[in-house]
Amino acid sequence: MQKNQTPPRLFHRFFRWYCHPKLVDHIEGDLLEDYGDRLKTSGKRKADIRFIIDVLLLFRRRIVRPMEGSHHTNNYGMLKNYLIVGWRNLLKKKAYSAINIFGLGLGIACCLLIFMYVEYERSFDNYHTKGDRIYRVIHGNKNQSTDEYWVWNNAPIGPALASNFPEIDKVVQFSGRSDILLTYGEKIFQEEGIFFMDSTVFDVFSWKLLKGNPKTALAAPYSIVLTETAAKKYFGDEEPLGKSIKGTDSPGRANAGDYLVTGVMEDVPANSHFKFDMLLSLSTFRKSIPDIFTNWGYVDFYTYFLVNDKFDRARFEQKLPGFIERQMKDPNNRYAIQIEPLKDAYLRTPAQRQPGETGSLANLYIFSIIGLFILAIAMINFMNLSTARSMERSKEVGVRKSIGANRKSLITQFLSESLIIVYLSMMVAIVIVTLAMPGMISITGRALDIQQFITPQNIGILAGISLVIALVAGSYPSFVLSAFNPVMVLKGMSKSGKSGVALRRGLVVLQFSLSIALIAGTMIVYSQMNHILNKDMGFDKERMLILDYNYDFQVNRQREAFKTEMEANSEILSTAFTRSVPGGYYPNAGTEIQTPEGKMNGNGQPIFQVGMDFVNHFNLKLVAGRSYSRDHPADTIGNLVINESMAKQYGYTNPADIIGKKYSQWGREGEVIGVVKDFNFTSLHRPIQPLSMPLEPFACRYLCLKVKSDNMTATIEKVHAIWNRMAPHRPFLYSFLDDDFAKQYQKDYNFRQLFTVFSCLAIFIACLGLLGLATHTAELKTKEIGIRKVLGADITSIVSMLSKDFVILIVVSMLIATPVAWYVMNKWLENFAYHINIQFWTFILAGLAALIVAVITISFQAIKAAVANPVKALRSE
Amino acid sequence: MKKYQLGEFEEIVILTIGVLYKEAYGVAIKNEIQTRLSRQVSMGAMHTALVRLEDKGYIKSSAGESTDERMGRPRRYFEITALGKKAIEYSRNTREELYKSIPKVALNLKIVGN
Repeated sequence: MQKNQTPPRLFHRFFRWYCHPKLVDHIEGDLLEDYGDRLKTSGKRKADIRFIIDVLLLFRRRIVRPMEGSHHTNNYGMLKNYLIVGWRNLLKKKAYSAINIFGLGLGIACCLLIFMYVEYERSFDNYHTKGDRIYRVIHGNKNQSTDEYWVWNNAPIGPALASNFPEIDKVVQFSGRSDILLTYGEKIFQEEGIFFMDSTVFDVFSWKLLKGNPKTALAAPYSIVLTETAAKKYFGDEEPLGKSIKGTDSPGRANAGDYLVTGVMEDVPANSHFKFDMLLSLSTFRKSIPDIFTNWGYVDFYTYFLVNDKFDRARFEQKLPGFIERQMKDPNNRYAIQIEPLKDAYLRTPAQRQPGETGSLANLYIFSIIGLFILAIAMINFMNLSTARSMERSKEVGVRKSIGANRKSLITQFLSESLIIVYLSMMVAIVIVTLAMPGMISITGRALDIQQFITPQNIGILAGISLVIALVAGSYPSFVLSAFNPVMVLKGMSKSGKSGVALRRGLVVLQFSLSIALIAGTMIVYSQMNHILNKDMGFDKERMLILDYNYDFQVNRQREAFKTEMEANSEILSTAFTRSVPGGYYPNAGTEIQTPEGKMNGNGQPIFQVGMDFVNHFNLKLVAGRSYSRDHPADTIGNLVINESMAKQYGYTNPADIIGKKYSQWGREGEVIGVVKDFNFTSLHRPIQPLSMPLEPFACRYLCLKVKSDNMTATIEKVHAIWNRMAPHRPFLYSFLDDDFAKQYQKDYNFRQLFTVFSCLAIFIACLGLLGLATHTAELKTKEIGIRKVLGADITSIVSMLSKDFVILIVVSMLIATPVAWYVMNKWLENFAYHINIQFWTFILAGLAALIVAVITISFQAIKAAVANPVKALRSE
Repeated sequence: MKKYQLGEFEEIVILTIGVLYKEAYGVAIKNEIQTRLSRQVSMGAMHTALVRLEDKGYIKSSAGESTDERMGRPRRYFEITALGKKAIEYSRNTREELYKSIPKVALNLKIVGN
C-alpha cells in the first residue's frame, strides 16, 4: 500500500489505543482490508470518512480494553495496591482522617468561597462585548491628583471629543442619577434609578433592547426605555410600547411631560458599575434646559465613549491637554481631563462622584490573602499529622523496601495517599460551599451564583489546585518516610518521634502566627467600626424622620403650613426643610468671599441648600454670628451661614472675623452671618470639608422631623395622614436619618462580617490540627504518663507537661504575628479619615485568646491521658 | 426460554458464518450481509456481535493467514460450534411454530387489504 493510501493516522492510533489487546489485530486487519476495498471503489475521501465512522462505532463496551488488569501495564496493580493501603490507613485512624479531611475541606471551601467572591467582583462590566474599547472621561484641575478628579462633569466635552478625534466612534453621555414621579393610570411611583441617556447608548453598551429600535429609542425628547422589571411594574402583561407615562419635572433637568415608551430592555446585570431601572432620552433634558449643554462650567454629566482600532491610548492622552486648551481658549484655564477604561470603572477608579457604586481592590487583596492563610493553615495540619504519624508507617516502609520498592515508588505511594485525602477534602469542600452559599450571599450582598462558576476552566483549575495541594502537603511526609533505612526500621531502632519535630514546631508557629494575626485583625476591625458608629458626628441623627418630596413646588410653597401642622403634634419636636441631609447627596458650588485683605477670593466647596430651621433642627453649634431667622427678612435674599472649615478655607483662623464679609455664590450676594462648628456631613471615610449653607427654601427636597415617641409606628401613621391631607399628589416616602447614614458603611459591615467569619474558621482549623497533634503526643507518651502516675505525679503536673511545649510555641507566634498584623491593619485604617490608633493590648488579647483556645483544645486530650488508669498504659508491655 | 439467547442481528451474523462456511472472517461476513440483506453493517456492530457469540460459545475462531492488503494483520476465521447449531435450530423452530400458529384468516385478510 502506498503512503498516501493509509487511513487517517489519528483515528488509526486511537483505535489501537482503545481496542482490547485480544481483538486488536484481526479487527484492525478487517478495518484495513475494508479501507483498501473502499479506496478502490469510492476514493480516498469517502474511504477516510467511512474509516473514521467505523473506528468511532467500534468504541463499544465489548471491544474497548478493560480499565485495569491489562497485561501490558503492571503499574495498575501497584497503584491499586497503594490506593487500597491508603484507604485502609484512613479507616484505621478515623479521628486523624476526619481531622485531616474535614480541616482541609473547610480550608478549601473558604478558598473557594473567597475565590467566587473575588471573581464576581472582577466580573463587573465584563459582559459588554465592546468593553475593551469603551473609555470614560474623568475631570479635574491640572494640579490635582486623580483622587480628586470627578467622573461627573460638564456636557460640552462629549461633542467636542467626538468632533476632534477620528479615533472615537461614538460618545454616550448621561445625566446624574435623577428622581422623578411617574404616573400610569392608577400606578404612581417615585423612581430613583433613572438617567437621562444619549440615544447612542445601545451602540456603546451591550444591553439588549428587547422591544423597540435601538437606534431611535432614545432619540426623541420625552422617550422612555424601561427595563423588563420596570415594564412589568407599570404595565403588567400589557404591551408597553407606544403607551405614555406621565412624568413630573426633574428639577434642573427636565420639565414635566408625558413620556412615550419606545423600548423595553433587559434588566441591567447586577455586576454593572452603574445600574438603572429606566432611561429617559437626554434630548428631553436638552429641550428643557438647552443652555446647560454648552456650558463648560455646569456639572451634571457622565461621558463615555467607544473608540475604534485607530485608537492608541498613550498617543490619545498626549493630545488631550492641547485639545482642552483649544476648547477653553482661556490662558488661566485649570480644567483638565483624563480617560479611564471601562474595565477599571468598578475596582480601580480613583475618581469621585461615580454614577454607581465602586468596589475595593484592597479588600479583594485582603480576602485573597485570608483565603491563602486559611489554606496554608489547613495544609500545615495535614503535613503535621502525617509526619507525626510517620513512625506508625515505618514498619510498612521497611517491609516494602526490603521486598524491593525503590524510593521513587514509595514517594508515589505517599503522594497518592495524600491525593486520596485531598480529593475527599475537595468533596467535603464542595458540600460546605453549597451549604454556605446562602450565607455568603447575604454577607457579601452579591448575587453569587454557583452555577456560573461551574465552567470547564474553573473545574480544570480546581483539579489543578487539588493536585498542587496534594503535592505540597504530601511532599514532606513522603520524602521523610521514603528515606527510612529498612534495616534500622525493621530492627525497631528508628529515631523515635524526633524526626521532623523542629519542622513540626515551625509549622505550628506559622499556623498560630496567622491565626493570631487574623484574631487581632478582627478585633481592630470591630473597634474601628464601633468607633465610627459611636463617634459624635456634630449633629443630631437619632430619631430623625426624613420625608422625601423630591423638590415638589407645592410642598415648598406651603412650607410654613407644613411646619405648623407637623409641630402641632406633641411627638414632633421640630421640623426643617433642606435640599441635602448629612450622609446624602450634595452638589459643589463655587463661592467668592472677601479675604481679610478685602479682595474677593474664589474657592469651591460642598453646598447644602437649606431651609430656615436647618441649623437649630440638627443642633449644629454656632461658633460665631447667628443662624437664619424669620426676624431678618434679608436672610432670604442673600445671607450665608458656613462652617468653620470654610472660614479657614478663606484664610480666617478666627471664625468671628468672617462675619459681615461679602460673598457671592451661584448668582446670590450678601454677607456671611454665621459660622457653625464643623460636623461630619459625609461618612467618616472622609475628613470634614468646607461647607456653605445658603437659605434656599425653594431648592429644598426633604422635610426632616425630629420625633420623640414611644410608639414610632403610630407616629409615622399620624405623619402619613397629615401628609396625605396636605400633599395628596405626592406619595409618602420616609426613612430614618441614622439608617440612611449607616448605609454608607454597608461595605464596611460586609467587610467586618466576612473578616470575622473567615478568621474564626482559621482559628478553628488551626485548633483541629493542634488537637490532632496533642492526641499524638499523648499517645507517644502513654508509657511515660503511666510511670509518672505510678510514681505519684498528679493530674495537674501531667497536663502541664503535655501543654508546656505548645504554650511556648503560641507565645512565639504572638511575637511574630504582632508586627505583621499591625502593619496590615494600619493600611486598612488609612481608609478612614477618622480612625482609632491600634492599641498594643489588642495583640496581647488576641494572643491570649489563641492561647486559651489552644489550651482548652490540648487539655481536652491531656486530661484524658492524665486521668487514664496507668495500669492500662503499662500493661501492654 | 433463556437457554438459547440469540439477538436478531446475532442470528443474521451466525447464519452468514454458516453460509460462508470455511471463508467466514470479518470483512467477508460483513460484505455477505450487506449484499444478501442489502443493509449497511458497521464494523462496530458486527464485531460486537462476534464477540458476544463467541462469549456465548456459539462460534469459535482461529487465526488465519495474513495478507498484504491487511498490512500483515492475520485474518480470524469463525465457525459455528455444536451449541451454535442448536441455537440456530431452536430459533428457527420457534419462529416456524409461531408462523404456523397464525390463523389463515389473518394472513388472507392482510392480502385483501392490500
